[in-house]
Formats: sequence, C-alpha cells, structure tokens
Amino acid sequence: MDSLGSELSKYLLLAWLLPLIGFAVEVLGGYWGNRQDKRAAYLAIACIGAGFLLSSFTFYRWGTETHWQAFAGSVSESGHASVADPSGSDGHEKPDAAHHPHKAAGTETTHGTPGHSETAGAHDDAAHHSPGPSYSGTFYTLATFGSLTLSIDYYIDSLTILMFCMVTLIATCIHIFAVGYMSDELTDEYVDHSAHTSDGHHVHRPGRFHRFFAFLSLFCFSMLGIVLAGNIFQVFVFWELVGISSFLLIGFYTERKSANVAANKAFIVNRVGDFGFIIGLMILWTYCGTFSFGDQDLNGHEQPGLFSMIRGSDGEITTVGDDVILKTVGHNGHWEAPHEGESNRTLPYFLLVIAGLGVFGGCVGKSAQFPLQTWLPDAMEGPTPVSALVHSATMVAAGVYLAARFYPVFTTEVLLTIAYIGCITLFIAATIAVVATDIKRVLAYSTISQLGYMMLAIGLGGWAAGLFHLITHAFFKSLMFLCSGSVIHGCHHEQEMTKMGGLRHKMPITAYTMLIGVIAISGLAIPGSAALIGFPIAFSGFHSKDAIVATALAYTSLNPIHFLLFLTPLVTAGITAFYMFRLWFYTFTGKPRDEHIYSHCHESPAVMCMPLVVLALFAAGCAFGGENGPLYHMIGNSEPLGVASGVEAGGAAGVALPSHHAIHEVHGTAGVVALLAAGLGTIVAFLLYCRPVVDPESIKRQFSGVHGFLVEKWQFDNLYDVAFVRPSHIVGRWCATFDKEVLDGILHSTARTAIWIGTIDRKFDETIVDGLVNVVGNVTRSVGMSLTVFQTGRIRQYVMFIAISVVALFALLFAFMPKA
Amino acid sequence: MDLIFLSVLIFMPTAGALVLAVLFNSKAVEPMRVFTVVVTAITFLMTLQLWMNFDPGVSGIQPEANGVSVEWIGTWNIHYRLGYDGISLPLVVLTSFISMLAALASWSINKLHKGYFVLFLLLETGMLGVFLALDFFLFYVFWEVMLLPMYFLIGVWGGPRREYAAIKFFLYTLAGSVLMLIAMLMFYFGSGGEFSILKLSAIGQGRVPGVQFDEFTQITAFILLFIGFAIKVPCFPFHTWLPDAHVEAPTPISMILAGVLLKMGGYGILRIAFPICPVGAQYGAYCLVAIGVISIIYGAFAALAQTDFKRMVAYSSVSHMGYVILGMAVWAVAQDGNIVVTSGRDYWLMGMNGAMFQMIAHGISSAGMFFMVGVIYDRVHHRDLNQFGGLFALMPLYSGLAAGIFFAGLGLPGLCGFIGEVFVVLSTWNFSPVLAIVAASGVILTAGYILWTLQRVYLGAEYKGPHADEITPMNAREATIGVTLLFMAIVLGVYPALMFDVMNGSMAELVDGMDAGLRAAQQSGASITMTPTP
Repeated sequence: MDSLGSELSKYLLLAWLLPLIGFAVEVLGGYWGNRQDKRAAYLAIACIGAGFLLSSFTFYRWGTETHWQAFAGSVSESGHASVADPSGSDGHEKPDAAHHPHKAAGTETTHGTPGHSETAGAHDDAAHHSPGPSYSGTFYTLATFGSLTLSIDYYIDSLTILMFCMVTLIATCIHIFAVGYMSDELTDEYVDHSAHTSDGHHVHRPGRFHRFFAFLSLFCFSMLGIVLAGNIFQVFVFWELVGISSFLLIGFYTERKSANVAANKAFIVNRVGDFGFIIGLMILWTYCGTFSFGDQDLNGHEQPGLFSMIRGSDGEITTVGDDVILKTVGHNGHWEAPHEGESNRTLPYFLLVIAGLGVFGGCVGKSAQFPLQTWLPDAMEGPTPVSALVHSATMVAAGVYLAARFYPVFTTEVLLTIAYIGCITLFIAATIAVVATDIKRVLAYSTISQLGYMMLAIGLGGWAAGLFHLITHAFFKSLMFLCSGSVIHGCHHEQEMTKMGGLRHKMPITAYTMLIGVIAISGLAIPGSAALIGFPIAFSGFHSKDAIVATALAYTSLNPIHFLLFLTPLVTAGITAFYMFRLWFYTFTGKPRDEHIYSHCHESPAVMCMPLVVLALFAAGCAFGGENGPLYHMIGNSEPLGVASGVEAGGAAGVALPSHHAIHEVHGTAGVVALLAAGLGTIVAFLLYCRPVVDPESIKRQFSGVHGFLVEKWQFDNLYDVAFVRPSHIVGRWCATFDKEVLDGILHSTARTAIWIGTIDRKFDETIVDGLVNVVGNVTRSVGMSLTVFQTGRIRQYVMFIAISVVALFALLFAFMPKA
Repeated sequence: MDLIFLSVLIFMPTAGALVLAVLFNSKAVEPMRVFTVVVTAITFLMTLQLWMNFDPGVSGIQPEANGVSVEWIGTWNIHYRLGYDGISLPLVVLTSFISMLAALASWSINKLHKGYFVLFLLLETGMLGVFLALDFFLFYVFWEVMLLPMYFLIGVWGGPRREYAAIKFFLYTLAGSVLMLIAMLMFYFGSGGEFSILKLSAIGQGRVPGVQFDEFTQITAFILLFIGFAIKVPCFPFHTWLPDAHVEAPTPISMILAGVLLKMGGYGILRIAFPICPVGAQYGAYCLVAIGVISIIYGAFAALAQTDFKRMVAYSSVSHMGYVILGMAVWAVAQDGNIVVTSGRDYWLMGMNGAMFQMIAHGISSAGMFFMVGVIYDRVHHRDLNQFGGLFALMPLYSGLAAGIFFAGLGLPGLCGFIGEVFVVLSTWNFSPVLAIVAASGVILTAGYILWTLQRVYLGAEYKGPHADEITPMNAREATIGVTLLFMAIVLGVYPALMFDVMNGSMAELVDGMDAGLRAAQQSGASITMTPTP
C-alpha cells in the first residue's frame, strides 16, 4: 500500500507544484514581457489544467488500486437494495480493514430490517465504520530537535483526492473565464474609473494581465498545499499563504483605496483567527509532540499521528480524571492507551478543548464565520474571478475543510461551539443578503451563510453532510459568481442590481446558467419525484442541504434543548431561496431599470460562457444520487472513526451526536420541510420581485429600522472599529510616547545630572585644584626656564634624552611588575 | 594554519582599510567604492570557505576543540584564541554577507568618502572578531573596536540629529560594556585567572573538578551580562537608542546595525552569559521570557504609531528581536527527586534554535527593510509615511522586492521570518502558557503595522510627497542588493534545515551542558527553587 501512497503523492506533488512554477515564470516573464501578451494566462491555464488532469489520473489510479471499494456501497444499494451482506465482505477487502474492529458486520445485522431506506442506512453504517485507506509520508524535513520533527508531509485519502479534483477543475474554469474577464488589462494604458488622483482624474496605468494570473497561480499552489498537507503545521503554512494570495488578489486594483483597505482587513481579520490557530498548535505540539495527521515512520520507529494519539483505533477519547490519555502504545496503525502503571502521556481535557477551539478559531477567520465574518463582503473589491475562486469556492471553504480534517481532535464541547457559530453565521449573513443590492455582495453574504451551513453540519456530527455541501456549494457558487462576473463585464462594471433588470433577453446563457445555480443553492426539487421514481429530481444543492437539515433534525430529536440548531437552518433555507431568487428576478427579469446600461449590455464571449456551461453541468449534477451517489460515497470513504455510530450524551456540553442510522430515519421528514421552506421563499421572491403583488419599497419603509440595521451589517464593522482598531492605535501612541517621554526622559535627566555634576566639578577644579596647580605650575615654569640650557635644538641630543628615559621607564616597569 | 586563516579573515577588512587609507586618492570616489566591495566580497568568500569546512557532526569548537590560540599577554593569561561552532558560524557568514551588501549600498554616501570606507572596513573587522573570539578579553577588545567606528559612522555621516544619536548609541553600549567588564573580572578572579570562554563555561557547568562559580557569582554575573547584552539586542526598556541611531544612520550603516550589531547581544548571551552561568540563566529565565514577550508586543505597538518610515522599521526590530530573547530563555524545569532538572528539553532546544534562526532571519529581513527605506529616501529625501503612496506604479521592481522583504518581516511562511517566530512561539507554551499566548498575539499586531505601512507607501493612486519627479526605477546595483536579500529570505524560509543542520548540534550541546551545570550546582549545595509561574 505504501507504494500506492508514494505513487499518488508524486502525481499530487506535481499537480501542486505546477502552479508555483507558473507563478514564478509569470511574475518574472511579465516583468520583462509586454502588456498585450496573453501568454501568462495560457501558462497559468496550462499549469492548473495539467493539475486537473493529474488529479483525475490520481483519482483513477486510486480507484483501480482500491477496486473502487468506496463506491461499492452504492452499487449494492442501487442494484440489490434489500440484500444484506452479513459477512461484511466489502469491509474485509479494504486494505487496512484488518486494523479496525468489525463493528460493521454487527451493525448491519442489528439494523438490517427490511425496507429500502432502512437498509440503505445500514449500508452506510457498514461502509463508514472502517474508513478507507489513507496514505501519509514526508516530502522533506524542516527541522528536527531531539524527538520533535517538523516536516513537509502529505496525507492522502479520498477527501484529499476529491478536493484536488474539485479545486483544480473549478480553478481551470475560472482561469479560462478570467482570460475574457480581464482582457481589458491587455493594454499599456488602462484607465481605472474607480480610482481618482487628487486632481479628480481617473488613474491611468499599464495593464496588469500577467500579474493577475501570477497571483491566481500562487493562490492555486497555496490552496492545493492546504489540501495535500500531512500535518497541521503545514496546513498553517499554506493557510497563511492563501491569506497572502487573497490579500494580493483583493488588492489587485492597488490604486483604489477601498481595495487596499479591504485587502488589509481580510488579512488582519484572518490573523485574528490565526492567533487562535497558533494557540491550538502550541497546545498540541507541547502535549502530543507531533503535528502529523497520519502515523509516521521516523527512522524505523513508528509514531502515532495526532488522530491516532487522541482517538486511537476505536475512535474514542480515553480520559482518566481530567486528563486525556494519549494512545501511544501499538504499531501498524493500531494504537491504544498505555495500561495502568506504564508511563503515559496525558493532555488535560480542558486543554484539548481549548486546542480544538483555537484551531477552529483559524477556521472561523478563514471561512468568515461569526464573529470574524466582516472581511468577506469587503473582499468583493477584488476582480470577480477572484471572488469566484478564492472567496467562494476554495479558500473560504478551507476553513470547513480543516474543521472536517481535524474532526478527530474536536471534543463534543468544541463541536457544539462549531454548531452554534455556524448557526449564528448562517442566519446573520442570510438576513443581510436580503437587503444587499450589490450583486456581488448578495453572493458574498450567501457564501458566508452557506459556509455556516457546512460548519453547522460538522458541529452536529454530520461530517460527510458538511463536506458534501462544501463540494456542491463550490460548484454552484463559483458558477453564480462567474455569472455575476459575466453580468458585470457585460454591463461595463456596473454591480448595482437596482440598475439592472430584464437582462435575460440580452444575455441568455448567463441568465439560465445562473438560474441553475440559483435553483441549486435554494435546494428546490420536483415535489413527489422521490416517491414516484425512487430518487428526487433535483440539483446538487438540494441533496447536500437536505443532508444537513436531516442531520439537524436528528440532532435536535436527541438534544431537544438545542432545537434552534434545527429551526434556524430551516428558516434560513427559506430566506436563502428568497434572496437568491430576488437576485435573479432583480437582474434578469422585469423591465430594465437603467436604459443606458441595458442598451450597452451584451452577452459575454465564448471564452467566458464555456466555463459557465461546464460549471452549470456540475452544479446541476455533481451530487447525482444524493446520499447514495458516488460523490457522497467518495466523501464517506474518508469519514473519521466513530462518526457513523454517533456519540452518547456526555461531557460538559452534555450533547449526543446522531448516528447515520438516526439521521437516515428522519431523512424523509427533513427533506419535505426543507423543500417547503425553500418553496415558500421562492414564492415570496416571485411575488415581490417578478410579478409584484406587493411593493418591496413599502415593506422597506415600514421596517426602516430593521432595514437600516441590516444594511449596516448588524453594525459589526462599526463595533470592531470602536472596540479594536482605534484602541490599538491609541495603545500604539501610548507606547511611542512612553518611549519619548518616560524612557528617554529618564535618560535625559540622568545626562543632565551628569552634566550638572560636571559643572560643579569644573568650578571646584578651576578654583581650588587649579589654584594649587598654578602654584606648582609657576614653580615648574621657573625650573623650566632654568633648564633651557638643555634645549639646544640638536636632534642627536634629544634622541639621547629619549633613549635614557625609555630605559629608565623599562627599569621601573620590570621592578614593579607582579611576577607571574 | 587555521589560526592564520581565521586571522586573515578577521583582518582582511583592516588590511583593506590600510590600503585604502594609504594608496587611494581621496577624490577617487568610484575606485574606493569598488575596492571596498571587493574587499568585503573576498571576506565573504572566505567565510563561505569556513562554512564549507564546517563539520556539523563534530561536537565542540572547530577547527580545534579548544580553538586555535597563541599567547597574547601571558602575564594575565590572555590568549588570542579563535574558533567557531554552530552558534557563531552562521553569524560570521551573516556578518560578511550583510557587510558586502552594505558596501554595495554605500553609493549614497556623499561626503568624506575615504574616511567612511576606512571606518566601514574597520567595523567589519570588529564584528568578525567578536563572533570568532573565544577569549573573553579578546571578545571585549573586539567589542570595543567595533564600537568606535560605529560611533563615527553615525556621528559624521548621519542625518540632522546625528550627534545626539551617536552619543546615545555610544553611551548606551559603553554602559553595557562596563557591566560586561565587571562580570569578566568576576569570572577572572573567581576562576583563578582564566579568560578562555570555553574554560569558563566548563567551570560554570561544573565540569572542572575543584573550581566552581557559586550561586551568587553566577546570578550576579548573569544579571550584569544580561543587561549588557540586552542593551545591544535591544530589549525593552533599554531600546530607546535604537530608533534614534537608525533614523540618523546612513542606509548602509542601518543595514549593518540591524543586520549584525543587534545579533551581538543575542550571541553574547548564548556564548557567554548562558554557558558560564547556567544557574543565573535559570534564575532569570522567567524574567527573560517576560522581557522578550514585552519587547515583541511593545515594539509592535510602538511601530504602529510611527510616522517616520525608518523609525517604524527600527521598532519592528525591537519587536522581532524580542523573539530571540524569548526563544533562548524558555528553559522549563521540574522537580526530580530533590533536585530541579530541565523539563521538556527538546522544546527548549527548539526555542534556542528558533531564537538563533530568528537572528539570522532578522539579519536578512531587517537589513532588507532598511535598504528599501534607503532606496526611496535617496530619491525623495523624506521618510514621512503619510507622504508616500502609489510607488507600485512608479517603481514596480522596487515595490515588488520591498513587498517581499516586508512580508518576510511580517512572518509569512515561505520566507525566513516565519520559521524563527513560529518555532519560538511553539516552544514557549511548555515554559509558560500565559506568556506564550501573549507572544502569539504579536502576529496580529505585526500584520497590522506592516500592511498599513505597505499600504501607505506602495499602494494608492498617486505619490503624495515632495520631489515626485525624482522618483526613478531601481538601478541595477540596487536591484542586485534587493534580489539577493529576497532570495536568501526565500531560501531560508523554504529550506530552514540549511541553518538548523549547522547549528542544531552546538545548540544541543549548550542545552545539555547548561542542564548538567544546573545539576552540578545543586549537588554542590546551590538551592534552586521551583516557583510556580503562570
């Protein structure tokens, strides 16, 4: 198996490094090249496209070598839904299945009752109890200190491969789109209408086509680095690098102050999250002594990775008193806690909680979760392809990815926090999206809200559901961003929806691909189709949101006190459908609100429309089969131990996590209510904005207070400015003043005192000492006068005097020097 | 042979200075510049030769275990003793590297060229001597040798308040030297007449039968030495000479000051204070860590408030050098039976290595930052942060390189600043969770002041200050310096093992030696108490 791991790692390594090479060439080549040259873009596309091919090939190799085990479940379910497999043979064939206890077979027989949904649930349980193989290894070592090693590793499982395929595919589409979108940069004299010099003119500057693609390549490299990373430290490294790529891309229009401010804000707010991240790293590093995800082989000495150390082979955290016993005894992937009396390594439970919260803090920053969500809407200052790639599909999803990857380290308390953070975020962002009128900002808030859904799912124990939504969201949100980019491009950089309307006549491809995205995110499906033909006819978003809502419902029935965790996402599902359809109706239907813009608007060129069509296909169909489909199975193959069976109530939080079986039982109910909510939202949007029976303006007037509050984004920006930004500057000034007044003041007064003492000393010298000296001087002078006889002016005589003196001095020296 | 090679290395710049003083016409400015660059480059190549010859597998000092020496003042047992190990070698190479680049950056000097270059070369001799000397007296001599040229370089070729800055620098450093002198005499008499740093370390670590520094001597000497070196680092609250010196010093001198001179403080602690006084080091560990953390946060806050570009960079140095002190001092101990021993030795080792790496990384990034300030100052003759802007459009190459260098200062992964900072911070929790958290919060402030500066200087629609028409793109010489520094920042950031391979062995010896010293002191009666610290 190791050979497969190292083989896969080579492909992915190449896919990962290609964009970096592209970046280097584009930056250097662009500096010496000319401004009309499109080659930078072609190189960037070639790099990322090759990356996609390599990722796909990796997927193929992985699949054939593991005999497509990950998808075996779906085959057996669709083909022989009711055939139970008592031996659990598909588990046995898994490469490392032998290391895991076979709860699988047991669960199956217990729950293997007749009925389609029940059996499927049981199969899920069976498939997920023994996760698929993961391969880990080291590229190179950064440093070794005694038993501590920091290195650049890889960790490859089905999730890694899936993320690689997703990121490279979407990035390729967006790169191609950007060739068209950024084409106005292909000039020596670009006029930036949004940036003004002090005398009121627009800024003229050379185009920066190559630089854009260089930064995109840098971003792709960093993003793939996060996905491939084999240890949490390495994740942090690339975490920062995507941060800086994001900074560079948001601030791409460096002449615009708003862009610079937004870029700074994005980076600094992310650093606030990273502060937590570092705290988490410090705790894990100090107590576990490793950052590695997977088990490691250090010079023939096997060492458990973080996940094994904390969860062991049974997926449970073992505690004694207030301490977590780290599972360091074992070999070959099978790790257990040391027995009593053996020397053991422990970690206080509350520190494990803090470590989890800290790392999650990093995710909060990166995924723009409450309370650090404020940077993402401002990040829309970047060019639209950037918003599509960085700020919706990939980078912001990295927070969710990390939360999922790090799931084994999270305790139930941390998971509950994650759930509530996600819940608050998804609601706040959705409410703001309802009043936003800038087309990109609506999408930005929608992104925040959807990321909240993913976090919620992970917090509720719906590990696969959260990642499922991550993948589907990446496709439909990047699609919608690109559509909005197409609109903006067509409308000559107009982003206000209040000036649009009726655009579907002018740009049909954009409008209808966008509609696919809108339906997908809203989670609409054809009612009753599931009952009629056995599976629902719906786009990807329905399946993934359905999975999340089902998880929430199952969770709430286990923990009734947390009913908001179900109600909020359900209500927000309705709000989501409302604001997304509002956006679509506003932009593409009705009468043009601004004739000038409408008349100049045009459909985008093929280079921009093709990516839209490709992404629309994926947005519609990538979740084919829902939770029995290949995508979900692929994700489920990486599910950590112990998720499938759920968790009994316990811990300080006292929450239980639902098992797959429990979730599956409520799946039907959840699907119906979620669909109802979405349908309701759609209808309201239709009535308000498409066939106006109620004037939205009057509603706005009636609730002007609420409206203003929402337009001001719940006042977060103002609050943070008053609470953090200004105080920092004030403290900074205090420090500078302290230096100048106090520290230097002490120094200066010391100096003055010294000078004063010196002055007194001088007085003393001049009056008393000099008085005496003058007496001596006078005597000397008279003696000297009498010695003038010796001053003959003859050199030879002088030399003789000197020689005599030197000899005399040496004689004195030797007489008095201490003998060694 | 080795002694001759090392001596030639140290005095190569002095020889150059003599040649310059005697043979060159003081009007021949260009030949003098080129000559200085050539001399520093030869010196750099010689230090690289040293690097090649270094064998990380050999423990102790190279090229010979006790250093290579010749008697100097036999009456007082003073030797001319030289040698290097994994602690000093990286600094030696850094010194010659930064000196070479600073010489290349000296084109902006516009008066009394001959005097400048002579002093510049003498300064380099002093610096190399400090890092290669293994006799405390010799170390002290070189320390002072380096002080005078620096005083004149700031005081004559500096800005408007150069005399104030120069005298402040001089007096501060001199105060530090005096404290060091007292400690030196304490060791000399306490050891029965010994100046060899290696011997003194062996005595301090209890490896010499019959002689030992008692607890009181160790603690007192450590405090004296630490204050002496802390002034040089500089740590809060001894740092106020630094902003003034930097602001007034000409660009190349700022590069040397930040790139090399500050490291002498850290080096002094690692070479002298720690190994000779392990008990004192343990006694002061918490205080040191606290000072390091305060310097990090205080420096960052103060940098945030500056409006002078160079002052901002100077305060960032205070902040970044805080990591050096922090990393060295994270020596956690635990009760083992009836004595106190090191706990979590590998974390301390990591902190030490991180501190050492941070010195190198800061040497590159801060020299780069000061150089970048100098480039724009040479053109527009002001440094007011609020009167820049839009340089990205006017000087694209310069701005790109500057952004890279500033990102290195910001601690961005892939660049050198990250490794030092993050290694130090990661090793701190084992010593003190509270201080670790405070230190980690520095990442937010650092991002704040660096990005805000970048925004005000390089971004924006237009340049807002005077002399707008004198802004010209970087010339080849300037670009060479910038590219070289950025290249090194990337190399060290991506492959830090390059440095760790060299220094890890010596660091491990130091750490284990100090632990042994602590044990030995307790066995001979010293009482080390564990005070619970947050």
